[in-house]
Amino acid sequence: MTHPIRRRLDAGDDPQAAERGLASLVLTVVELLRELMERQALRRVEEGTVTDEQAERLGYTLMRLDERMNELVEAFGLEREDLNLDLGPLGTLLPKE
Amino acid sequence: MTHEGVWVYAVVDHAGGDVFLPAGVAGTSVRALTAGGLTVLASNVDLAEFGEAALRRNLEDLTWLEEVARAHHNVVDAAARLFPVLPARFATVHHADASMVAAFADRADQLRAALARVGGHTEWGVKVYAVPKQRGAQPVAAPAAVSTSTGAGTGSEPGAGMAYLKRRRSEISAKRESSRTAVASAREVHVELSGRAAQTRLYPPQSPALSGTKEPMLLNAAYLLDAGGAAGFASLVGQAAAAHPDLRLDLTGPWPPYSFAGQEA
Amino acid sequence: MAALLVRRAGGLTSAARDRDRTELPPGFPAERVALVDLLDRVLAEGVVVTGEITLSIADVDLVTVSLRALLASVGTLNRQEGR
Repeated sequence: MTHPIRRRLDAGDDPQAAERGLASLVLTVVELLRELMERQALRRVEEGTVTDEQAERLGYTLMRLDERMNELVEAFGLEREDLNLDLGPLGTLLPKE
Repeated sequence: MTHEGVWVYAVVDHAGGDVFLPAGVAGTSVRALTAGGLTVLASNVDLAEFGEAALRRNLEDLTWLEEVARAHHNVVDAAARLFPVLPARFATVHHADASMVAAFADRADQLRAALARVGGHTEWGVKVYAVPKQRGAQPVAAPAAVSTSTGAGTGSEPGAGMAYLKRRRSEISAKRESSRTAVASAREVHVELSGRAAQTRLYPPQSPALSGTKEPMLLNAAYLLDAGGAAGFASLVGQAAAAHPDLRLDLTGPWPPYSFAGQEA
Repeated sequence: MAALLVRRAGGLTSAARDRDRTELPPGFPAERVALVDLLDRVLAEGVVVTGEITLSIADVDLVTVSLRALLASVGTLNRQEGR
């Protein structure tokens, strides 16, 4: 049985598609981490367990990461929405927008 | 010597006389047999390809499955345009005419009842998607003289980081809210459309990889309609689409009543 | 503007990729159905008549579970709703 992930990389005729496929997999993982960190940060800020200065630094870093993701995604001819690994019955990796 | 089996397409309500149907699975020709007073459409197939072991193998081959499913559908669909049809379960294969006829004759009353229930009805599929919302506005403009290593609080707008966090928090809760309302909206559409249907069936939403769309699918439903219901259904779906601008509706049909042919519990 | 796409179900001609959505003039065989829509319906239900080598419901589900994993998606399986 062809696994959905393997199918995505099976672009023998089109090396650019394969590269894009690989890039989207890698970037999806990066995006997942970014999103997890962002949610962590928001929770901490809401709970008040970080100082204002820490919150500002966290927010700024996350903002820069977000901008960087936009750049990377554009560089590979992808869109942010492409970064979502569909695991079939297990659901998508990132929560659907 | 090839061993032949019998592939079944459907039970139909057709008294007699020749009908012209397209070629069936593996290019075989379709014939009509009588079984318990019913008319069954079937083909002779090579058991090397359609026997139990072979089917187990072949059904996992998407290329094979696509070709055979489409050929099967070709026949059932053509028949459904000619007379009332009760589609058989896909991959119903018997060793011989005799055993097939016996099996059908055995269940003749149930099959006749099922045929009466769905025969002459068409199935219509509606898929509902959420209309995508753009992911936030442009990112907060990067301050002019930014030094990446030092980060916030040095030479950048005061509070840019906090502003970003605030924006993301409201974006996330807005997303959750619109997701909630979209699902509720889709349920409303299903209720509206069900009013016209003799029966309905919900399928799991298709994954984006398979449906080829990016937007989340909120509803994947099948509606069984008689001739009257079918006539007005497309415009009913159009009205539902107009009433719910947060949704995109995708209508397919008419289908033979595949989703409703099963035996009722 | 309401977003509504209507596609007629119909038979197939050849084994090309099924993303073709060109409009055909009346009288032509109706547009190819999307494979995923066809498989949704064709694999799920139908008259069950067990013969000597007919695959029973359980058997077919076992054989096609790998395909169902492909075809299924987020969300729980809803049962057939009667009226």
